[in-house]
Amino acid sequence: MDKVWMKPPFGAGDPKQVDATPEILIPLMVAGWSQIEEPINTRVNTPAGDEEVTGHVHD
Amino acid sequence: MSTTRLQEVQICFGKGKQTDIATAQAAAVMWRFTKLNAALANPKLATENDAEEYGKGHEFPIATYKTAWDVGGTLEKYLSAEIAAWAMAFGLGKVVKTGTTPNFVYTCTPLFPANGDAAELPYFSFVEQIRPGAGVVLDRQAVGCAVESWQISVGSGPGRANSKISVEFAGSGRVIDTATGITMPAATVEKLLPSASLTLTINGVDYVTSKNIVSLETGWKNNIRMDAGFFPGSGFQTAGDGSTGAIRGRLEFGNRAGNLKFVARYDSTSLEYAKLKAQTTGTAVITLTFDANSSLQITWQKLAFAVVEIGETDQILTVAVECTPLYDTTNGVISVVAKCGIDAICQ
Repeated sequence: MDKVWMKPPFGAGDPKQVDATPEILIPLMVAGWSQIEEPINTRVNTPAGDEEVTGHVHD
Repeated sequence: MSTTRLQEVQICFGKGKQTDIATAQAAAVMWRFTKLNAALANPKLATENDAEEYGKGHEFPIATYKTAWDVGGTLEKYLSAEIAAWAMAFGLGKVVKTGTTPNFVYTCTPLFPANGDAAELPYFSFVEQIRPGAGVVLDRQAVGCAVESWQISVGSGPGRANSKISVEFAGSGRVIDTATGITMPAATVEKLLPSASLTLTINGVDYVTSKNIVSLETGWKNNIRMDAGFFPGSGFQTAGDGSTGAIRGRLEFGNRAGNLKFVARYDSTSLEYAKLKAQTTGTAVITLTFDANSSLQITWQKLAFAVVEIGETDQILTVAVECTPLYDTTNGVISVVAKCGIDAICQ
């Protein structure tokens, strides 16, 4: 299932990732949530080398 | 002397949205369509003069002044998944895009400033050309346009004319009226959403399964506050030149209104009049489909019947119903899920 990142109205609070279904999206959109790109601090790939970061890399 | 046929006119407009009301779009973010109506998006210049001023010795004007520019137009088209997605996204204003080629999904709702949304709709540029280049007849670009209204009509019959959309748009007044530099993109391949594909449930009744629906119309009007677009500092046709006429610096929606009316066959089991008397509320879900990747689903989240009139269509008893869309505290007034194979609409 597609997922999408949404930010809360008035910038109050943290973005969240939700299922991209009308049942979930529409109440959020009406309540002021807006779509955003995936936040950088949640991305799996590093910006520099596109190396996948896993939990044990820096262990 | 050669004549110019109106069939030569080509139009393209922003598939994506402008960065702001004053920044014209380039061809790379535009798409080209055909249309059904002949009307052109003519820029209109309002002027004033000095007839009322004292000190001239007479009551006649001796000078005129460019006051302001206006531009707008209407697009009438057979309904397709592509134009539907565009009209819903730009007409309602709030869009979430998901999916990948060939199935992009645009979930659209109106903007609610009370919940932090903008009061301005997304802007696009609109281009009209006839023989651009050396033998140019017309080459102009209206910048900073917003959708004022859209209206969809679905009728009975097999032809394309039984599923149409009309989109009215208003502009900031900024116009590039010579040498836009826009190279008309290739015509967009459209996936039509025919009347025969309709599924329809209104206020608890499936009007297609019962084979009772005759026609329907539904639409949205933004009632853009045109006069409020001119404010101190809103700008001029030529930036920095106060003699070129004012343009609008914003197009805010006013008191918006949705509409839905339909005609259905009427028999002993019909409940429309009873629901009118009881002011029964329910949803309306209108779906038109080309294929799994190209469709339009409009949901009026809550409505009541406002007018129920029994009459006839081709001598068969029918009921004409006008609905009043209501605001639902969770899902708002209207939502649309528009699917098509085109990426980046209103992005």
